[in-house]
Formats: sequence, C-alpha cells, structure tokens
Amino acid sequence: MIAALMVLLPAAVAVALALAPRPAVHRPLAVLGVVGTLALGLLATGDAARIEVPWIPALGTWIALDAGGAGGVLARIAAFVLLPTVLWAGARVQERPHLFLAWLLATLAGLGGIFLARDLVLFYVFWELTLIPGLALLAGWGLTHRRTAMLKYLLYAVAGSFAMLLSVLAIRPLAGAEGYRFDQLLAAAPLLDPLTQAWIFAGFAFGFAVKLPIFPLHAWLIDVAEQNHASGAADVAGTLYKVGGFGLFAWAIPLLPAGATALAPAGLALGAFTAVYGALIATRHTHLKRILAYASLSHMGIVAVGLFSLHLAGKTGSMALLAAQMVTTGGLFLVSGMLHDRRATFDLDAFGGLAKSAPALAAATLVVLFASIGVPGLANFPGEFLALLGAFQAAPAAAVVAVLAVIAAGALGVNLFQRLFQGEGKERTRDVSPLEVAVFAPILALTLWFGLAPATNLTVFEREAAVAAEVVAAPAPAPDPRLVQGGAR
Amino acid sequence: MTLPPVIGDLMPLAPAAVLVVVAATALLAGVFARDRAPLVALALLGVAAALVLAFDQWSRAIAAGTAGAALGGAYLGDAIGHAFTFVILLGTGLAILLADAHRERLGMDHPELHPLLLLSAAGALVLVSAGDLVTLLLGLEIMSLAVYVLAAWRERSRSGEEAGMKYFLLGAFASAVFVYGMALVYGATGRFDFAGVAAAAADPSFAAHGVLLLGGVFVLVGLTFKAAFAPFHQWLPDVYSGSPTPITAFMSVVVKAAAFGALVRVAGTLFGALGPGALGEVLPGMFGVLVGATLVVGNFGALLQSGVKRMLAYSAIAHAGYVGLAVLAGGADGAAAAAFYLLAYTLTTLVAFAVLLSIMDDDDRGDRLERLEGLGRRRPWLAAALAVSMLSLAGFPPFAGFIGKLMVFQAAIAAGHTALAVVGIATAVVAVAVYARVVVAMFLRDPAGHALPQRRVGRGTLAVLAVGVVGTIALGLFPGGWLDLVARTPWWALGS
Repeated sequence: MIAALMVLLPAAVAVALALAPRPAVHRPLAVLGVVGTLALGLLATGDAARIEVPWIPALGTWIALDAGGAGGVLARIAAFVLLPTVLWAGARVQERPHLFLAWLLATLAGLGGIFLARDLVLFYVFWELTLIPGLALLAGWGLTHRRTAMLKYLLYAVAGSFAMLLSVLAIRPLAGAEGYRFDQLLAAAPLLDPLTQAWIFAGFAFGFAVKLPIFPLHAWLIDVAEQNHASGAADVAGTLYKVGGFGLFAWAIPLLPAGATALAPAGLALGAFTAVYGALIATRHTHLKRILAYASLSHMGIVAVGLFSLHLAGKTGSMALLAAQMVTTGGLFLVSGMLHDRRATFDLDAFGGLAKSAPALAAATLVVLFASIGVPGLANFPGEFLALLGAFQAAPAAAVVAVLAVIAAGALGVNLFQRLFQGEGKERTRDVSPLEVAVFAPILALTLWFGLAPATNLTVFEREAAVAAEVVAAPAPAPDPRLVQGGAR
Repeated sequence: MTLPPVIGDLMPLAPAAVLVVVAATALLAGVFARDRAPLVALALLGVAAALVLAFDQWSRAIAAGTAGAALGGAYLGDAIGHAFTFVILLGTGLAILLADAHRERLGMDHPELHPLLLLSAAGALVLVSAGDLVTLLLGLEIMSLAVYVLAAWRERSRSGEEAGMKYFLLGAFASAVFVYGMALVYGATGRFDFAGVAAAAADPSFAAHGVLLLGGVFVLVGLTFKAAFAPFHQWLPDVYSGSPTPITAFMSVVVKAAAFGALVRVAGTLFGALGPGALGEVLPGMFGVLVGATLVVGNFGALLQSGVKRMLAYSAIAHAGYVGLAVLAGGADGAAAAAFYLLAYTLTTLVAFAVLLSIMDDDDRGDRLERLEGLGRRRPWLAAALAVSMLSLAGFPPFAGFIGKLMVFQAAIAAGHTALAVVGIATAVVAVAVYARVVVAMFLRDPAGHALPQRRVGRGTLAVLAVGVVGTIALGLFPGGWLDLVARTPWWALGS
C-alpha cells in the first residue's frame, strides 16, 4: 500500500500545486510533497512495501508495485535528490514557479511508478508518462532553441519506447505467460528459444539504449541539457529519468537471459565506446551544461558495460553507479545553475578564479565533482569499480577501453575545476548563500554516505542481480514443450 | 413478464426500430414545429431509449448465456452486435449534441437534420447486427443514403457539393462491388447467412473454392472501400473536409464503427472458409497488405496536412489501419480489441471535433493549424481537452488510445502477424509527430494575429467535451469493466 502512496502522493501534490492560488504556499507544499514521498519510501519495508491488485484481467496486467527491491532504493534516492532541486527551483524559477514545481513533482510520481512497478505493462505506462513532465519543463521554461531540442527528444524517446512496446506486447503471448507480473513472466520468458529472446531483447534494448543513453542514440541528451532552464533544476529531473540502465537490470536481462547473452557483445562494445566518446567530446566543449551532459553520457557507457558483462559484480556495480550519478550529476547540474546565477552564462571562458572570492562554493563543488569522476571514498567509486570489475571478468577488451574513459574523465574533472575556480579571478563573486548551503547539504551527505558506506545499497542491488545471474548461469533450458508441440503440428 | 414468442423474437431489433420510429416522428413534427429545441430533445430521447433497450438486450444475452437472434438468424445480438451497437449509439448521441450546438450558424437549422442522423444510425445498427449478407447490405445502404445527404449539406458551397457527390458516386460504386461479391459468394455456397456460408465451405464435398475466393475479394474490397482502407481511401479527405464539421464528426465515429462491425463478421466468416491451404491464405494476405498500406498512407498523409480537419481525416484512415490489424487477428480477442479501439476512438475524436467547432469561423471555415497557435493561453480549458484527445490518439498512457493500441497489437502478435505489428508500431512513431504538431502549436507558439471567434462553449459542447475527456481517461485507467462485459457476452455461433 505504501508503495502506491509513493506514486499517488507526489501526483496529488503536483495537481494541488498547479491549482493552488496563493504563491506563499507553493514552495512549502512542494517541499512537503517530496519529504512526504521520501518518508513513505523509508517506511516501506516488508509487506507494507508491496501492492498487488488485478488491473486489466483481459490483458493479464496488474497494479503491482514493490518498494522493497533495487527499484525502491532508486525511488528513495530520486526523492532525496529532488529535495534540494525543489528548494532551488522554487527560488530560481521566476516565471510560473508553481507549475515548474508541479512538473517536478509529476516527475517524481512517474519515477516512483517506473522504479516500483512489478508489472511490465504498468512499468511501460509510467515509463511513457514520465516523458511528459520532461517535455513540459523544456517547453515551458527552456531557452530559445527549445523547440528543436523538444522535437529531437520526443522522436528519439517515442521511437525507443515504441520498439520497447512491441517487445512488451510480444513477450507474454510468445512465452505463454499467465500475466504481465514480473514473477509470472519470469516463470515463462527465460524458457523461450534463444532467437525469439534475442529479438524481444533487441526491442527492449533499443528503448533502454535511447534512455540510457548510449551512442548512437544520445544526440537528444546534449540538446535537451543545453536548452533546459538555466537553473539546472529541469536537468536534475532529466538525470533522474535516465532509467534505461534500470530497465535492463530489472526487466530485460532477468527475463531474457539468452537474448542478453546474444546481444551482450554489441552492448559491451557500444557501452565502452560511449564511455570514451563522451569523456573525450566533453573536453572539446566550453559550454558547462554540454560538458556535464557528455560526462554523464560517459558514465552511462560504463553503466552499460557493467550491465552487459552479465556478471554479478558488474550488474550490481552498474546499479550503484546509476544511483550515485543521480546524486553527483544532479548535484553538478544544480551547481551549473548556481554559477549561471553569478555570471549569467554557461561559457567556461567567463569563469575562473572563483575560489578566491567563493571558497565554500569551490570546496563543495570540488567534492561533488571528484565524486563524479570516481575518486575513492566518494559516491561514484564503488559502483564504477564493481562495474569495471565485472567487465574484466566477462570482456577484458571492453573493460580496458572503459578504464581509459575513467582516466579521461578524471582529467576532464580536474581541468573543469581549474577553469572554473582557479587561476586569476576576473571579478569577485559572492560565496554560497543560505539557500545554496541548504541545496548542497543533502547532496554532499549522500555523496559521502554512498562513498563511505556503500554496502547498504549494494546488498539490495546484489540480491536482485543474483536472480538473473542464476538464470543465466543455469544450463541451457530444455525446449519448451509447447513449442515442440507447435513445431510438430 | 414474458412476451409473446413472436415479439420476444423481435426484441433484438428494438434499438434500431426505436431510432426509425423517432426519426419518422421527428420528421413529421418538424413540419409543424416552429421551435427546434423539442425536436433535439426528441432525438436525444430516442437515442437514450435505444441505449436502454440495447443494454437490456445485452444483459439478457449475458444472463441467458446464448447470443440473441431475430428473424431466423438474420439479425444477431451477440458480443459483436452489442459492443458495436453501444459504440454507435454513444457516437450518435454525442454527434447530435455537437450538431445542435452549431446548427444555426452552420445553416443546418432544418427539420430533417436529426431524422437523417437517426436513420443513418439505425442503418449502422443493422449493419453491425446482420447475420447474413443481405441484411448487411440493407444496413449499409440505409446508413449510407442518409449520410450522402448530410455530407452535401453546405449550401452554395463547391466543396460541399463535391463532398456529397464524391461520397455518393464512390459509395454507390463500392456497394456495387460488394453486391457483385455477394452474388459470387451465394453462387459458390448457395447461402447468404454467414453461418451457412462457413458451413457450406467446410463441407468435404465443397468444390467452388475459386468462386468463393473471388466473391470474398469483392466483398472485402466493397467493405474496405467504406472503411477507407488505402488504396481505396482517396474519397475520404475530400468528403471529410467538404462536409459540415458536425457531420464529419458523425461520419468519423458512427459510420466508421459500423463499417468495422461488418468487417469483423465478414472477415471472421471468409478468412477461415477456404481452409488452411494456400488458397485460404489469399484473403487474409490481401487484407494484411491493405492494412499495412493504410497504416503508412494514413499516418504519413496526416503529417503533410496543414488543415486540422484534413489532418483528422488522414488520422481516421490511419486508425482504420490499427482497427484493421485487430480484424486481421480475428477471433474473440480481435473483435474485442476492435470494439474497444473504436469506443476509445469515438470518445477521443469527438473531443477533437468539439474543440475545433468551438474555434472555427462562423461559416465553418478556418481550420488551419495556425489557428490553434497560442490556444493554450487564450482558451486554456479547450486546449487542455484537445491535448488529452491528441495524446490519446497518439497512443500515450494513461489514455484510452493507449489501451486500444495495446489490445490491437497484442491480438495481432498473438495471431502471428508480427511483421504488420512492427509496421503499426513504426508508423505510430510518425503519428506521434502528427499529434505533437497540434500540441506544440497550442502551447509553444505565441497567439497568432488573427482573432478567434468569441464563442461561448454551450451546454451541448460542454457535455460532449466532458463525456469525451472523462471517458478517455476512465477507459485508459480502468478498461477492465468494459472488456469484462464484452468478454462475458456470448460469441456468435460461427466463432466456435
């Protein structure tokens, strides 16, 4: 039941925000919605975390949500990251702030649905629905060239999700599963013959690859990041919505082990290439948000490498990296908003020497930036390490390439910090405001916690990764009796 | 109360009969009445009475566990008949409300308007309930004749005349093709009723496979003409854009639903009649090609239009393709998917037409896409309703259109038509671009210079918008009730 409330509460608050007349209540209401969702997420344990009622019996779909697994962890992190985002957006967005906040809350509701759904059709519904808040944030508050960015985003996303829809539609009838619930599908889908699995997996993988994103389906990400509202708050929502890795981890790989095995080489190659490509392209840009977008693209490449290693450690690490980069990339986008607040531009050339007049801002940014490039003891390191470890077991060549990306990202991060904060200051700037302190606090707390005590999340991720690993490791399944019959007829 | 057997046997005909009686009464009363308001009320009352009777029949069929039949099986009250009857009556009621809201300014303030709509709806009911080809033809002609007149309603308008003339000539041509096919089917099997045709073809001594196939081709071509499958779709955009907008709305929901109700039955009879061999593959194969072409032509055609009415016309073609996928899938699943899709399409499309009617010029012109620019600022509620409609047509959850697509594709894949399902999904991406253009124009562009008519949204339009939007969302979130109702209704004898 609590799982359903984690979706319904932010949705209700979003509606209330859109209709609320008095500006004074907007920010408290939004904060209350996020905090309430987070509290629900922390309360959701054991049986209270699950809900399971028939939805459309004719199609075999269920309203099945579960906050106890890997999805629950990601949903809680999403709520946690959205807290500073709502605080920041409420202060920084001047035009129709209540609607902006409403869309942020709608994103949270949709993410809750994506992460908690244990029914494939329900998962797809939330997957598709969550596209709308992202488009609305871009449409209503984006910069001059937002229309092109929107169209690009829409077409990429829709092409991806429709390919995935085809697989969603095909998997149950072809597998002969009773319904669309995860356990029902898990009982039937892995028994499908490898070729069918490969086709169905390809549909899922295409949809998830657009959202991850990995090369060559990443073009939308850069444009969207550049054109989103200058506060960076919409980019945080976008960062949280990069759920392709989760889709592979929670649905495609466990349900279609043979399909995953067949397509893993391609996934590994594309993932490794994306990691290097993103990191290298990032160094060629001077637009801060484009750099961040390419850097996060590079992370997604490593996530893909870890997942497609199909190795327990690799998959666990990928999820941990995904969770960590929600915090660190999200935090960096908020920092980009703070910097824009000071210089009214994202051009790196306009910055430099900020550390002299704003030492606290520099220090806080340094922590998040170092976490993002995978410095040990901070958020991204455990995930990145495990993902690459898994990759070395399964595909050393791809892992070596991905490690190059980590090195390039390190150079990028240090260089970025130098250009922003060190050197000769062009002009003085103010240090962190109380609001900015409040925004940094939860980000820094999570960054340190993930780095120093990664075990809490890792155990949950590992438990779920093991489900799929068992299926993959099991000997080739005996031919499905139904198929044999069908063939003989 | 038990009815005498003869009348009891005729009860499935009651909804259509009520519509005819009310139409005749309204026509007579219209000669004398000065005020039109009571006539509208009468027409709506007639539709409501027909709905009540239809529901009564429906629940009786479920309770009895057998499909209703009248006139020796010429008129059926099975799952197809009941489900499509509901869709048609709902569409008719809402279309009457729409026509009434704009009748004065569109020069439609004549006493024969509602009788024609009711007669056409009665024909549609006959069409979807027909148990044999002759009844089917009767229904087709009753429905079409009234619509030919309605399509040509615009006085002193070239495009109106063109619409009526084109619709009439091509419609008559399609009917002729259909009748020819019917004759061939009869020649091959000696039967007009669907069950009889299927039984005769299944008989081991049956030898006239070639004639039956030829007849089947003609019958299908005739019906796909009516349902506007590519390449028989060319008449539709001209007719849709030339007709008065409320009539366009009526045609795109009622006439379309009726044509598909008939197609479901005919396809169900003929696709299996020729056995599993190469000969039996011809009709489904041909139909599959038509479905694929329709999906491509409809969706890409819609992308090229600059007028919203024409865009909706091509979108009607595209959606015919999706329903066609369900028809091709066949069986109870396919029929249920087709009925659901059309119910969703009816609710959604009427919302689009209701919004369009509220912002078009007094002379029923001005449907260019530019007119919608900035509607989100100028008329936020109308824009929101149209956005719901467009998102549902594009297949976005949680709206009814999404569940419709889900069911259609599911049925198609389960029946082994994976390649066509892929075509459907690929063209659905194009469709998203089509409907996104409308949403982008409404919310992302600044209000254009031109003035919108300052027209209040009347009670009738409001009712259509409310029913349409609430229905689209409710069906999207909780489709189970309707699907369960259809699933529990006895299937017709042939389906076994």
